[in-house]
This record gives sequence, structure tokens and C-alpha cells, in this order.
Amino acid sequence: MNSMNPMNTLLFGSLLALLFVGFAPDAGAQQFMTREGNVHFFSSTPIEDIEADNRQMSGLLNASTGDFAFQVQMRAFHFEKALMEEHFNESYVESETYPKATFQGSIASWENIPNDGQRHDVVAEGEFDIHGVTQPQRIEGTVQWMDGGWKLQANFEVTLADHKIVIPAVVKDNISPVIAIDVEAQLLPR
Amino acid sequence: MKRLTWWLAGLVWIGSGALHAQGLLDELNAVIEEPTLPVRATFKDTRIVNVQSNETPAEGVLHFVIAHRFGTLSSGAYDLWGLDNAQMRMAFDYGITDGLAVGVARNTYQKTYEANVKARLLRQKTGPEAFPLSVTWYSVAMANGTRLTSEESPYPFTRRLSYVHQAVVARKMSERWSLALVPSFVHRNFVQESGEAHDLALLGVGGRCKLAPRFSVNGEYHHFLTQSFGDAFSPSLSLGVDIETGGHVFQLHITNARGMFERSFLAEPAGSWANGDLYFGFNLSRVFTVKS
Repeated sequence: MNSMNPMNTLLFGSLLALLFVGFAPDAGAQQFMTREGNVHFFSSTPIEDIEADNRQMSGLLNASTGDFAFQVQMRAFHFEKALMEEHFNESYVESETYPKATFQGSIASWENIPNDGQRHDVVAEGEFDIHGVTQPQRIEGTVQWMDGGWKLQANFEVTLADHKIVIPAVVKDNISPVIAIDVEAQLLPR
Repeated sequence: MKRLTWWLAGLVWIGSGALHAQGLLDELNAVIEEPTLPVRATFKDTRIVNVQSNETPAEGVLHFVIAHRFGTLSSGAYDLWGLDNAQMRMAFDYGITDGLAVGVARNTYQKTYEANVKARLLRQKTGPEAFPLSVTWYSVAMANGTRLTSEESPYPFTRRLSYVHQAVVARKMSERWSLALVPSFVHRNFVQESGEAHDLALLGVGGRCKLAPRFSVNGEYHHFLTQSFGDAFSPSLSLGVDIETGGHVFQLHITNARGMFERSFLAEPAGSWANGDLYFGFNLSRVFTVKS
């Protein structure tokens, strides 16, 4: 091995330090969190409307970067009819194998959004994972500084086929191939 | 050394960018405790083949079952392997709550009427307050509805009654396998000859193997623990499949028990697997959400 050049040693040391800093959570960043966000989805066809609610969505927002992550337990979705709930878990999203859906992404131009109590339109881009299949997803929504936290609201559409969720031919007329999803959460300082 | 330095530089660059959101998700996973959730759909229907499963109709749901058992498969082509001799059972079960159901049914065999109650006592759960088993209680009273003959008329109505009580201890072992142990107690008020047993205890085992999201293979066997009701009867053994479509479950099976009510299929299966005296049958269930 060559004798080490002091300049190289310095570079190596500082990069090593950066590496650890880079992987560690941003110590100074303020994080906002929820454990009881609300997800609602809606499938509409001429024959039948199917909707479900889940009030156990959890989420984390990094208030200095606008990065966020949400997750929801698939088995905690509640339907009007018990049989729908069973089919949802057993046959469609296969929640034993894929227990969670997650979304991680970033709110665009987060640094320009003031905490002035007004509602602001935002766009978020990220990765949506459901049924074990991750797809890029763009979401439009609003953010609002309210009661000491950030209130997030968004809606987007998911094409079931993109996530390999198969609707059998017999119920093709009952279940929409594109599902509308509404999300609402109040995130408070952690 | 130089190469290692570059390598580190690359890692830092990747780490600081793409991994930030992933880091948030990992952080979230670390702080969110998994909720306690009940295990659902241990079996697709309220029956495994003949015997009750641990499932009950949900609250406000009317569960309607039409079941048929045909004649013996060994009866040959003339009777289309038994299809000419159908017996049927028609049943209505209603979920008063998510864990309590009551039902009535009528059977062709001995024109038997049934009244039953099914109650979930314990439920399998996952999460911090996990519980490994589901336990469901089932009690049914059965009344022979055939016309009184003249020599029967002095006896009270109660001689026509029989009862079965059972506990269904079930566990969904995995997404594919579910198992149930079903101890049963059968009592009949009337016996043909004095000295015949009024009571019979059995231990049943049932299970399913779910091969596709809407298809499973089911089976059950009930072992006599005490003196059987007669030499003509063998322990009940049934094999079948569950096929689910929207709101229906079709259960197709082969069994050595032709009766579809508990006393009959537990204590009095007349067919024998060894001789090929088997019956083809099906249960077709449909749910109606009466109250949402």
C-alpha cells in the first residue's frame, strides 16, 4: 500500500463522517406525525358503489424538506358489508401476504408554503406501494397550518391493474378498474 | 485508497438523496405498533363440509343455504349415479351480532326441523394482543316431522327431539391452511330398543387447503368416542371443494353421510367409503345484507 497522502486522508475522513450524517435522521428537522389519518376509497360502477374507510393511517412529515411517508394496514379497512371486507382482504389485496400500503414522497416547493393558516394547493410526487407492487404516483392536494400542526388532504386515482390486483370476470361489472382514494390527516409535532 | 474514497463519495451522494423518504418510512415503521386485528375467513363458509366451521354470519346478514345430497354413487347409470334421488335442506341463519347467530332449517330426511344457535366465544387475533385460536359454540335441536302413526300417538312430542352441542376450535394456520377440532355431543330422546344408547360423544377434525383466492379443498372426519348408535353406521368422512363467486359459496362434496343435520351426519352415516356407498352433494349459500 502507498503511504497515505495527508490530503487524501482528510478527504477520506470527512467523507466517512458525511456518510454517517447522511444516513442518520436529520437531527434538526422538525417532524410531524399522525396515527389516525383517514383513508377512504370509492369504486363506482352503474351496478354498485363500493366504499371503505380506514381511520388508522399513520404518517410522518419532515417539515424542513417536505418529505413524507404514510402507511396503512389493509386489514383495518371497514366496508358497509362484511362480505365485501372479506373479499377485499382475501381475494383482491391479499392482505395476509401484503399487509400494508405505503406512500413515500415529497411535496413540491415545500419551502414556499407559509404556515399562515390558509389552505394551499400542492403537488406531491412519490412511490405508492399496494399489493406488493410499487408505482410512481402524482398526488394533488392541499396543506394547511392548523391547530399547531399540518393538515394534509389529497385525492388520487389508482388503476388496479397497475398493482396486479385482479378483478375476476364475474364481478367485472361491480368493481371499477380505477379506484378513487381520499386521504385526510392532521399531523402534529412529534 | 483512492478507489475506496470515490466509492464512499458515491455512497454519500446516494444516501443523502434517494434514501431520505425511505428513511421516513422506516422511521414510521419503527414507531407505529401493529394493531390487534381479528383473523378473518378461517373458512369460507359457516360449514367445513357438513360440520359447522368457526364462522358466523356477520351482524345483520341473512345467510341462506340450499343443500342437496343425492343417492349413492354406486347406484349406477340408471339413477344417474344417485342424481335421481335428491334430498334437500333449506336453512336460514341470521347474524344478530358479529358473533351470535340463530337459525332454522328444514330437511327432506325424516321431514326434520332444526332450530340452532351459534356463538363465537373466542376469536383468533394477531398483533400485540394476539390470540391463537377461535372457539365457536353450536347447539341445535332437531325435531322429526313425519306424521304420527297410531302406535306413536301415546308418546309425548319430546320423543321426536334430538340435540347436538359442539365446540369448534379453529385456527387459521396460514393463508393456505386452516384446521378445526370439533368435539360433539349427540343426544336422542327416543331409541328403538331399550338398551340402545341415547348419547354419543365424538371428536371431529376438519380442515381446508386454500389453493387459490376463490378455491379451497376441505375435509372432515368424526371419530366415535363412545358406543355408536348401531352397527349400520360408520364414522362420518367427507371431502369437498369450496368455490366462491361474488356473494355465493358453492361447496361440492362426497360424503358417506346423507343427512344434513347434525344428529344424522354425525351419528348415523349409513354409507361406507370402503363399499363405495358415497353420496355426492352440494351446499349453495347466499348472503343477504338485511340490516347495514
